[in-house]
Amino acid sequence: MLTAVKNQFKISFLTIKYALMREMLNKVTFITNIIFMILNNASFIVQWIVLYSLKDNVGGYTFKQVLLLWGIAAGTYGVSRFFFKKAFSLADAINNGKLDSYLVQPKNVLLSTITTDVEPSAIGDILYAYIMLFIYGFTIEKFLLFTLFIFTGGFTLVAIAVILGSLSFWFNKTDMIADVGNSLTTNFATYPDGIFKGVVKGILYTIIPVGMINYIPIKILTEFNIWLTLGVLGFTIFMIFLAFFIFNKGLKRYSSSNLMIARL
Amino acid sequence: MAIIKVNNLSKTFRVKLKEKGLKGSFKSIFKPKYKVIKAVKNINFEVEKGEMIAFIGPNGAGKSTTIKMLTGILYPDKGDISVLDIDPKKERKKLAYNIGTVFGQKEQLWTHLTPYDNFKFFGAIYDIPDSRVEKKINKLTELFELGEFINTPVRNLSLGQRIRCEIVASLIHEPKILFLDEPTIGLDPVVKENIRTLIKRMNKEYKTTIFLTSHDVGDIEKLCKRVIIINNGQVVLDDSMENLKYHYLNKKIVEAKMKEKVNLDDEEGITILKDKGYNLKIEVDTKKRSVADALKLLNPDNIVDINISNMPLEEIISNIYKNEAEK
Repeated sequence: MLTAVKNQFKISFLTIKYALMREMLNKVTFITNIIFMILNNASFIVQWIVLYSLKDNVGGYTFKQVLLLWGIAAGTYGVSRFFFKKAFSLADAINNGKLDSYLVQPKNVLLSTITTDVEPSAIGDILYAYIMLFIYGFTIEKFLLFTLFIFTGGFTLVAIAVILGSLSFWFNKTDMIADVGNSLTTNFATYPDGIFKGVVKGILYTIIPVGMINYIPIKILTEFNIWLTLGVLGFTIFMIFLAFFIFNKGLKRYSSSNLMIARL
Repeated sequence: MAIIKVNNLSKTFRVKLKEKGLKGSFKSIFKPKYKVIKAVKNINFEVEKGEMIAFIGPNGAGKSTTIKMLTGILYPDKGDISVLDIDPKKERKKLAYNIGTVFGQKEQLWTHLTPYDNFKFFGAIYDIPDSRVEKKINKLTELFELGEFINTPVRNLSLGQRIRCEIVASLIHEPKILFLDEPTIGLDPVVKENIRTLIKRMNKEYKTTIFLTSHDVGDIEKLCKRVIIINNGQVVLDDSMENLKYHYLNKKIVEAKMKEKVNLDDEEGITILKDKGYNLKIEVDTKKRSVADALKLLNPDNIVDINISNMPLEEIISNIYKNEAEK
């Protein structure tokens, strides 16, 4: 069992490594993508600088906390898109019979599918995330917690994408639902949670769990709380199991396809 | 000993129907209609160890669906499958360690890596220790003559070279059964022949059972000793290649160049395939009329040149497809 898990991780890392090597073939595009993503993220901070020049506190967040929020949002986004890019186009893989080659291999189909491609610009997101942490205030403890949270959040984003993508096993054309769902988790991630009230706040801690991905980690990074940390970890594990469960349930309904496909 | 056993295997697909035009699209949102397609209907067959079997049929006959159920890609609706005493439905991973697959239309190789790196990757997928993979790569490189391009990125290889690499990648873990789905699609005749020779050599060397689907009669004729024909989701013929030819060889094709025109319009047992004045092509049904008899009708003194041949296998197979479709 342990060897099987070890071998599975070995394959996932090898796949990510090869996918990265493929992206690095074109050095200029590769590096430009990363730099432009950092600049793109930085441009959004301008509006917050303007806002905080008028007000000291927005939704209970100081300016530095907003930077940290952007750091967590960019980091979780980066981790999810860099390591598991294909999770975000899972519906297409299911609809167009692209799971065939993974089904005939003795490895986990979901992991093999979602690790087969990387997004170079996501490296820019991850770098940007750590720049924000350094501006917020670097300590070893914060660095470790921050790293933990961009991974828990990244995994949760991937789990949501897998659940939404897996709907394609049951319904047609669910790629649009998956796209909207994935955008929602990103769009709400960069605003202080204090500005949301009532039902919307409830939704952000349940259906669109931005609270578990972004807001609670900010609280923990501001003031450490072991129970909240365990809560985030527990929620992430629950989401990962749920994603595997739904995907495997749907896999029995997979109908393949005869489209001509090349692994590019 | 049978290593593939298929009993009453069935698979249906539900396909959404849509009326034409935008109106039809709106209608299908509120009142969707579905059609159930029975892709495979209660099929039964067995394959022995070391056999090279052709599993053929026209497009949409159900052969890909069957092969996908045998390899664990699709779940059957009904029936039992046992491949090497493994149920693909229950033990997909265990099965994967023991079978190899090559889908001519779907590439498995990383195109930016060299074949060598790809083979190492596939070795890791099947948890084979590095030293063993190395030996296996060397042996297969020799068998499949990959030496010249083993260190060239796959994207720079010709289609024939790629297919050879695809086959080698599927053999790294020494599978007991190799499923080949259209392995020679898009290849030129020389490369096709080369691939066939290599597959034959592999079957001889490793006693690998070959389960082949192809539309190329050359693949079937040159590689396989047994043919299973599937049409409309049912097995319509399961016989040896020899028997298939023997039963259908009651028809001979006679091509003759004549001195004078001959009229064979209403002759029993003779079908005129082509009549261009002095050049005649007829099909003689030897059950109804002997070839000698047919030649007499042509009048041997009247013949300038003649060629008598068996019906091509391609035609035999397409006749079986057509007859089944008419039934």
